[in-house]
Amino acid sequence: MLHGAEKEFEKKVAEHELLLHKVCRMYAANHADRQDLFQEIVIQLWKGYPKFRGDSKFSTWLYRIAINTAITGLRRKKDFVDSYEPANLPEVRPDDSGRENQEEQLGLLYAAIAQLNDIEKAIVMLYMEERTYEEMEDILGMSGGALRVKMVRIKDKLRQLTKNN
Amino acid sequence: MELDDLKKSWNSQPIQTNKNTNIMELIQHKSGGPVAALKRGFKAQMRIMLLMPLFIFIANSMNAEGLLKSILFWSYVVFCVLVVAFFYFDYRIATRMEVMEGAVKANLEKQTLLLEKRLRWKMIGLPIAMLFFILLVEVLPYVQHYKMLNTWHNLSPFIRFGAYAFLLLFQYVVSRRINERRFGAHLRHLKELVKEMQD
Repeated sequence: MLHGAEKEFEKKVAEHELLLHKVCRMYAANHADRQDLFQEIVIQLWKGYPKFRGDSKFSTWLYRIAINTAITGLRRKKDFVDSYEPANLPEVRPDDSGRENQEEQLGLLYAAIAQLNDIEKAIVMLYMEERTYEEMEDILGMSGGALRVKMVRIKDKLRQLTKNN
Repeated sequence: MELDDLKKSWNSQPIQTNKNTNIMELIQHKSGGPVAALKRGFKAQMRIMLLMPLFIFIANSMNAEGLLKSILFWSYVVFCVLVVAFFYFDYRIATRMEVMEGAVKANLEKQTLLLEKRLRWKMIGLPIAMLFFILLVEVLPYVQHYKMLNTWHNLSPFIRFGAYAFLLLFQYVVSRRINERRFGAHLRHLKELVKEMQD
């Protein structure tokens, strides 16, 4: 591939790096697993990049590959987030005292998300990222109706899970 | 806790990123995914199968002329070529599984379908390969003289065919167990996710 394409790819991925880290945080429990997943996603993005023709938004394409890789493209390890074990939960880095409550809430949310299945995790993440239902349909391949029904169920489930903790 | 109330916190959450991430350095690494591992395995198996007849030829180079006239040797060469073709077919399936840019649901369906197809072919291919050798062992002594095969043919047909039946059954059980151990949990996980998306 041409050097120019490499530069272009590097620039685009760098622009969306935070998004990739959010996917990794969603699907991997600890720092090492997140690094592995991040690397795997970047490799898959690079493999698919020559075929990206811009039919969809770059972020939509990127979400598809990132979620597909997180769900099916990495060897499953026992220590991937799969249960509500405080030690397994992604750490929330403390910032300042004013954010403590917010951090605590997010910590609880991640703890609850850890108990969802891979598809529910993807739906929650896209919802929280304020993606439109049309974009979610494009990424996940589910109908808008099914997504809305799932979202209602997931909200109920998370409400229950956070109530219990 | 309401999900919608947390959107603001979610979007301003501090995410630990590696400030020195070198994207171009990352893509130089080999993929650690299960499909990439499968592909590496198929490549290695193809190389071994292609080299096997060569090793046999070198090991028997003192009797090269006899070896080149041996039906058993040439049958083995044909067998190796067929196995390489089989692994190449597997390799192509794995390459298709590697494409991740489709929508998540379509990708999961594709992964499930291709993995099932591969396992089905493996379950069909192995007994066919064994039947090929059984046929060879049974027919060859009538065409060419092999001391070992003649000894085997002196045994009662009940013992010989009983042994073949046992081998086929043993192969079937072992293949199933290996498939279950290597791919069973992954395949069930994929199917569960596909079902989840269909609900």
